[in-house]
Amino acid sequence: MTDAPFIEIEDLYFFRGDHEIFRGVNMTIPRGKVTAIMGPSGTGKTTLLKLIGGQLTPESGRILIDGQDVHRLSRKALFTLRKRMGMLFQSGALFSDLDVFENVAFPLRVHTDLPDTMVRDLVLLKLQAVGLRGARHLTPAELSGGMARRVALARAVALDPELILYDEPFVGQDPISMGVLVQLIKRLNQALQLTSVVVSHDIKETLSIADYLYLIADGQVIAHGTPQTLDINQDPRVSQFIHGEPDGPVPFHYPAEAFYRDILGETPVTQKD
Amino acid sequence: MQSKFSNSAARITRLGRRGCDLMEALGRAGVFLFQSAIGVPSREGWRLWLHQMHFVGVLSLAIVLVSGLFIGMVLALQGYTILVDFGAEQALGQMVALSLLRELAPVVAALLFAGRAGSALTAEIGLMKATEQLTSMEMIGVDPLRRVVAPRLWAGFVSLPILTVGFSVVGIWGGYLVGVEWLGVFEGSYWSNMQANVAFISDIGNGMIKSAVFALVVTWIAVFQGYDLVPTSEGISRATTRTVVYSSLAVLGLDFVLTAMMFGGL
Amino acid sequence: MKRSKTMEFGVGLFMVAGILGLVFLGLRVSGLTLSAPTQSFQLEANFANIGSLKPRARVTMAGVTVGRVEAIELDTQWFDARVVLSLDSELEGQLSKDSIASILTAGLLGEQYIGLSVGGDPEMLEDGDTIRDTQSALVLEELIQQFVSNMASN
Repeated sequence: MTDAPFIEIEDLYFFRGDHEIFRGVNMTIPRGKVTAIMGPSGTGKTTLLKLIGGQLTPESGRILIDGQDVHRLSRKALFTLRKRMGMLFQSGALFSDLDVFENVAFPLRVHTDLPDTMVRDLVLLKLQAVGLRGARHLTPAELSGGMARRVALARAVALDPELILYDEPFVGQDPISMGVLVQLIKRLNQALQLTSVVVSHDIKETLSIADYLYLIADGQVIAHGTPQTLDINQDPRVSQFIHGEPDGPVPFHYPAEAFYRDILGETPVTQKD
Repeated sequence: MQSKFSNSAARITRLGRRGCDLMEALGRAGVFLFQSAIGVPSREGWRLWLHQMHFVGVLSLAIVLVSGLFIGMVLALQGYTILVDFGAEQALGQMVALSLLRELAPVVAALLFAGRAGSALTAEIGLMKATEQLTSMEMIGVDPLRRVVAPRLWAGFVSLPILTVGFSVVGIWGGYLVGVEWLGVFEGSYWSNMQANVAFISDIGNGMIKSAVFALVVTWIAVFQGYDLVPTSEGISRATTRTVVYSSLAVLGLDFVLTAMMFGGL
Repeated sequence: MKRSKTMEFGVGLFMVAGILGLVFLGLRVSGLTLSAPTQSFQLEANFANIGSLKPRARVTMAGVTVGRVEAIELDTQWFDARVVLSLDSELEGQLSKDSIASILTAGLLGEQYIGLSVGGDPEMLEDGDTIRDTQSALVLEELIQQFVSNMASN
């Protein structure tokens, strides 16, 4: 049972308006491992997390979490399933009207009937794990970006979930807090036997914690494997991304007229419909 | 010729799409109202409601009362100069009370409420949406409609009628100050004329019904605009403006309809 | 915690103030009396013309308000106006059968109300009885017409 994949994504299609975001994505995310989903900006990585969390519904295809089809569940069953997931948002998304302590206590208070003293102990335990026990009385406005993300992490693990989804955890962090976050994700995963899904485009940090990688571009999975196998992958699209080359299959230039015609001021052929 | 035809066809298409968008938004707003207003509040829900009553109701009290005082005073001053020509200045109390109870208190309080509390509600919910607080709440397994929207909706619905009562009381007192204390209308006739001509059900009751309708509409528009906006800073500022514009128009339009229904048939 | 207590207190105060305001409007502004509706009895009176008498108009006796007009309807038998009066129950059995109900006007342009005056009949009016002797409203136009035609005939 334990080696069955925790999340299975089968033939997923998703459109936003007329724009295709996903065209037949297949993934299996193993239990108890850190799986990273990488790709250039704008490829819908965050959208994928929202699909896994059941906040968006795909056009076709399905997502199974622990054998349950997320988009076939009733609203109530979906909310029950979400108690087993934690999600770390890009901005932290702390509740601005509650202080740090109450933010971490929030999931406990709404989903459990634990007495206050036990809630207190649990919250302090989680805050200790992210190193912010001393900041419990601060409001979210008083926290730096890195601290906010750590508090959000403490909140995400408050209910001891089986799955954590990380949405761009390293974006906009200074090197120190980036290192702290990398450490935390690694430690939490080992200590709590979590299944983690990290969405990111920070290569170095992600490669250092991921057990398995999926690379998506143009709405499809273009490569997957362990960090070692991807590093030596010969596909130009993969190596461009992994090694951060400025030009390649993903062009440096936004599609435009031929340069010299643009410069010489010839009237461009406008499209008519 | 061809292009002219296709131009007007495009215009009609655009108009049609506009209409469809509007209908869709109305439908979304209706479903939204239903989903947030239905349901028994928990103990926690009561606490949240109380918190919003403070934010929406108590904090709007000052502006509403001060405006009420001035409007009552102006009514007395204007009314006196007209009534005194007919030797009917004893009817001042009646005039002040009826204008306030039937019309001015529900409408002006609702407009002030839209500007003070409605725009704040939109901005607050919009900010929560833009900073992903609503999404993260959903991911924790808490429905933001119940947790964030419902307490605000109910707080608005309860607060505005109370504010309207306050507006009327202060306005009538302001009319008394100007009419009796300053312009010298006999105090007994100020009150007795009022009492003889104001009916509890048809004047005060109808004013309260108006106020309750406005409360629902203004709060509904405010929270829906907040919940439905484009989560950027530009989106928030646009939605805040929309809240004030839409709710003011809705209040004035509905006021005409309600007045026609309540007093027009007499 | 302390801040939340003051906030709760504030909201409580706000709502109590709202209710008190409504009570003020009811008692002081619309002149509601709390005990009125239960203690009253009804009399009817037919008038040839009620002028501009309205439901809820005052009913007075020697200038003292003793009740109000409950309903006005057209009596299709005689084609005159039937007015239902609701009076203080203290007066039940105190008004003689030949009491007079007349429609009066407060001032020259004021509202119209009903004035009652008692007669000498030993029998008294009970709940639901009809006052026989009535005086219709003075209609200003008719009065002027009479005056003018009197002048003409003189």
